Amino acid sequence: MRIILAGFGTVGQALAQVLHQDADRIVKAYGFRPQVTTIVDSQGSCSDDAGLDISLALKTKKDYGTVAKYPRKGRRNSDSAHIISNSEAEVVVETTPTNFKDAEPGLSNIKTALANGKHVVTTNKGPLALAMPALLELANHRKRQLRFSGTVGGGTPFLDFAAKCMPGERIIRVRGILNGTTNYILTRMETASLTFERALAEAQKKGYAEKDPTNDVEGLDTAAKIVIIANWVLKKRYSLRNLDITGITKVTQQKLKQAKTSNAKVKLIGRIEESSASIAPEQVPTADPICVPDTLNALTFTTEHAGDITLIGPGAGGERTASAIVRDLVSIRQEYAA
Amino acid sequence: MKFGGTSLANAPRMKNAARIILRYSPKNKIVVVASAVGETTDQLIQIAELAKKGNLQQARKLLSKIQASHLKIARMVAGRGETRELVSRLDQLNSELEQTVEGIAHLRELTSRSRDYLLSFGERLSTPILAATMSAMGLRSRALTGAEAGITTDDNFGEAKPLTEISYHQVHQRLDPLWGRRIIPVVTGFIAATVDGSITTLGRGGSDYTATLLAAALGADEIWIWTDVDGLMTADPRIVKNAIPLPYISFGEALELSYFGAKMMHPRALQPAGQKKIPVRIKNSSRPARSGTLVSASESSNGGKVVKAVSIIRDVGIVTVSGSGMMGAPGVAAKVFQTLGSNNVNVMMISQGSSEATISSVVANREVDRAVRALQLALMGQGYVDRIVAEKDACIIAVVGSGMKGTPGVAARIFTAVAKRKLNVRMVAQGSSEYNVSFVVSHKDGPEAVRAIHEEFNLGR
Ligand SMILES: NC(=O)c1ccc[n+]([C@@H]2O[C@H](COP(=O)([O-])OP(=O)(O)OC[C@H]3O[C@@H](n4cnc5c(N)ncnc54)[C@H](OP(=O)(O)O)[C@@H]3O)[C@@H](O)[C@H]2O)c1
Repeated sequence: MRIILAGFGTVGQALAQVLHQDADRIVKAYGFRPQVTTIVDSQGSCSDDAGLDISLALKTKKDYGTVAKYPRKGRRNSDSAHIISNSEAEVVVETTPTNFKDAEPGLSNIKTALANGKHVVTTNKGPLALAMPALLELANHRKRQLRFSGTVGGGTPFLDFAAKCMPGERIIRVRGILNGTTNYILTRMETASLTFERALAEAQKKGYAEKDPTNDVEGLDTAAKIVIIANWVLKKRYSLRNLDITGITKVTQQKLKQAKTSNAKVKLIGRIEESSASIAPEQVPTADPICVPDTLNALTFTTEHAGDITLIGPGAGGERTASAIVRDLVSIRQEYAA
Repeated sequence: MKFGGTSLANAPRMKNAARIILRYSPKNKIVVVASAVGETTDQLIQIAELAKKGNLQQARKLLSKIQASHLKIARMVAGRGETRELVSRLDQLNSELEQTVEGIAHLRELTSRSRDYLLSFGERLSTPILAATMSAMGLRSRALTGAEAGITTDDNFGEAKPLTEISYHQVHQRLDPLWGRRIIPVVTGFIAATVDGSITTLGRGGSDYTATLLAAALGADEIWIWTDVDGLMTADPRIVKNAIPLPYISFGEALELSYFGAKMMHPRALQPAGQKKIPVRIKNSSRPARSGTLVSASESSNGGKVVKAVSIIRDVGIVTVSGSGMMGAPGVAAKVFQTLGSNNVNVMMISQGSSEATISSVVANREVDRAVRALQLALMGQGYVDRIVAEKDACIIAVVGSGMKGTPGVAARIFTAVAKRKLNVRMVAQGSSEYNVSFVVSHKDGPEAVRAIHEEFNLGR
């Protein structure tokens, strides 16, 4: 299996690491050897049809900041969609930065890959948030797989749980906490009586929040995950513009105290109901299983016959996300054993 | 707004279309969909057939006719400064068209892919002309192919199926920015492209389908289909003198009427509008002030009338399979329809005798012989079918109206009215929907039957 890595940051490098370390185990257990033949970052790319030397790529990235400096096979060309359409690789792993305005370059990368008959694994939520029904239709039309386990819950398999463990059951509603950064901020605001700004600064220092925290604190990241769950699990054709989204920037100490008096905490909750979906800070009773602290994620599926089922687990993180990508690669290989 | 071929057939009509757009543009965001000029598509089909036979000379003759007529319109409609640019654009398209025809003639082969490519020139020529006409009146416009507007299909050339989610997504991406700059997109009807950009055509439903797809993608408030009639009529005005345009009908009724041969959009084209509940207005481009027919999701606005319209499909025949042994033998009906289906015979109506000893199917005249032969091969000589007979030259009369559902006695009124004029009903459809009653009479009785029903239900003015 030949792989193009579009994006070589935290997640892309973690994946390279895992593929490198676990190569022998993967061949033994699943009968295929994932070979990275192209890597693209924002400044350039490197390609080798016989498979790149992963440790060399990682070292080059570390030393020079771009794979363009990869010996002999590096170039200053970072036009990922163009590179994808001219490559013979079977799979594209898309890990470029998320943006919810036009979802580029991820959206073009995924469209080009599918249109050219390649399977896609993405951790980038932007393209799914804006165009998931369209991308699923394209994948289906081209008879290729579009996988995205790493977009929701990182290592905690919320998506696979719902899709694979509950066949025959009807899921009526979904609600939960899907963003570790905001959950951490709200937890610290409550336990240490910090203002929103102070809690955010702390989260940034600890590496939980990005320098530009907009996507997290404005609720967009949670919304994107809700879009993905709604399309994949509940077969609703939603995209970001169908949702009501409120972030946590207006959550005050007063609101937290108010919640406390009724034995509840304020949490950023994403929910999918029968005919709507929304994201907003809500009071959640402390006894509710989704009332989890710190960077944890939690999701309750309300089913027709089996009642409420809640999954709790760690959310994003480079290595966890890389493990979700490997899961996706394995299932692509299994469905297309050839 | 979609403009059909007749509404763009010559320079004055082209200008008329642009004037209509101009008139509605200040208060509305408009996307224009254009068919090919006049009979261009039919001519292109002829050219394709000629080229396939290697008759390049005849093909070229017809080609230059198309080229001349487009250039003539272009010179008459374009603004002073823009004629040259438009003409050079048309010249370029024309030389591409010539090359395509030559290619087909050399290979003596016409694949469905190259046929679609060839047909696409009709709309690709008409849209820049309409766009230039609009510019000459001071409207900012841009001619786009269906593919450029974002419509993507599967690769079933000749009758491609849109990939709706991708198309909806892309249409937004491509057209929103134009609107943002107050540019009116003028999109080729009928043609689109596959994921990798090969040109396809939408087949049945044509340009109307393009219009409803774009409207569904953009969440339009209304779809206006500009054509050469005042809307959908209560009956064919050539048969019934006092037939009038229907002000309102529902999507359900429109589907029935289009199935039963009324001059109406194809059901495929109605689908995106019906799904998103976007009203469709059918209007006459030479009399734009008239309100035309509004097709909408509402079923209530039928003005208290049980029956809305009566339509006729001519040139059909009845094929009847009979045999006393059929009564006990299960699955004969299934076998009949399976046989007809696998021989590409389209069954428009069926009826089974109450004794189960006969099954009648109505098919197009030209398919009658094929149907009989196929049925004989499949069913005779096995003991239960002893006769297969065909009657040609009949017509189907379909009486349509959503008010018929739940109103008792409508069928009785219909058949009494027909019987009073001594017309012989050959066959009555079974399982007609709750929106229609349909039956078959001989070719010569058809018009009189239409008039009888039109009068009985007071459909005229
Ligand atoms: N980190 C997580 O825990 C996690 C978890 C789940 C999902 N995700 C998602 O996964 C994606 C990657 O996350 P990350 O943490 O790895 O981000 P990151 O560290 O910022 O890496 C992004 C990578 O994309 C490259 N890139 C940027 N613009 C590009 C362009 N125009 N063409 C080609 N490459 C371009 C960057 O190049 P340079 O190296 O040259 O800057 C970088 O290598 C994001 O969409 C993120 O939301 C992340």
